[in-house]
Amino acid sequence: MSEDEVIVGCILEDSWLTLEQMAAACGVEPGWLLQHLQEGLIPHAECLGGTWRFSGAAILRTRRMLQMERDFDAAPELAALVADLLEEIDRLRARLHWLEPSA
Amino acid sequence: MRYQDYYKILGVPRDASQEDIRKAFRKLARKYHPDVSKEPDAEERMKQINEAYAVLSDPDKRAAYDRLGSSWEAGQEFQPPPGWDAGFEFTRKGYGPFDAADFSDFFAELFGRRGRGGFTAGGMRMQGEDQHARIELDIEDSFHGTTRRIALRLPQYDSQGRLQWVERNLNVKIPRGVHEGQIIRLAGQGAPGLGGGPPGDLLLEVHFKPHPKLRVEGRDLHMRLPIAPWEAALGAEIPLELPGGSVKVRIPAGTQSGRQLRVRGRGLPSEPPGDLILQAQVVVPPADTPRAREIYETMARELNFDPRRRG
Repeated sequence: MSEDEVIVGCILEDSWLTLEQMAAACGVEPGWLLQHLQEGLIPHAECLGGTWRFSGAAILRTRRMLQMERDFDAAPELAALVADLLEEIDRLRARLHWLEPSA
Repeated sequence: MRYQDYYKILGVPRDASQEDIRKAFRKLARKYHPDVSKEPDAEERMKQINEAYAVLSDPDKRAAYDRLGSSWEAGQEFQPPPGWDAGFEFTRKGYGPFDAADFSDFFAELFGRRGRGGFTAGGMRMQGEDQHARIELDIEDSFHGTTRRIALRLPQYDSQGRLQWVERNLNVKIPRGVHEGQIIRLAGQGAPGLGGGPPGDLLLEVHFKPHPKLRVEGRDLHMRLPIAPWEAALGAEIPLELPGGSVKVRIPAGTQSGRQLRVRGRGLPSEPPGDLILQAQVVVPPADTPRAREIYETMARELNFDPRRRG
């Protein structure tokens, strides 16, 4: 590909990911995802007529959960709780940064 | 290529048990977790720790690594001796593509060879792995769209099946309306496929650089709106310059500091567009001239106002 060619990006929110695409994006088996979906541990996903679809925000969350399970042998529920807390920290940090720009 | 001392990285002796290695890894993984660590080089350290653990937690990889000998110093110029890995079969356990892409040249040279189980497709046709990168944008980019040049380090196999790192520069068109945390997919720009399989995708995670005046929450834009006491008391129409163009905001009479005003549809452009949320902040003019002092004294005398006795 030439250096000057421009690649057009597409926002994942506009095009939902299938189970297989999501598994590839996170480096996990589809079965791992299904198991976590059935336990209700991955929000940002919905089931339409028996087919799962995922929004882009699910990728970061799933990667965080995977890291917790892999690095610390965390139970899936605990990994999901940590992911919830990290998402909350992200939100609060953004707000804090605005209130106190030096923070 | 520099030698990596995996035992030193995890802080364990060369004869450490698997249990000691696991404990050392967990302790460090907690200390350098990129989301919570206060250490300035947490991300870089975490990559090294992950790499060291990927080798030392796998008995075959550890045995092959040990065979290199203990006389090497970390950072020393290194070339593996021929046949150093004979008799070992490497397997990959639970490490996603984003971890492997972060590993050093040293790791890629030792364990990243196609046909040894490191990153193989077992002779099958297989799609390349998706790759992840982070991209920092200005809030303004979401309003107008932009083209960004990004530099990436991507794994690629040479004709001998060895994994090599290749620097690639891409010009990426970022669509209008992106917001924080969204993923932009560049189809077919990830790792090359194996056995003639299609390449994976490149997934860019969007983050906005801090802005002096604006804060983004989802699709909504937040902004402080400084107003004069008379604008707050009497109401006013205030013109504002925003990344998406200028807008006139009507302040209702009796607005207090901290009051939020929502301007529908003037947040980030998307379907539906976000809102602009203004937080009123009454700014008191200084009493630094005799005339200004006189005005304040008149107010104090005639308004009969005690802010500590309001309902």
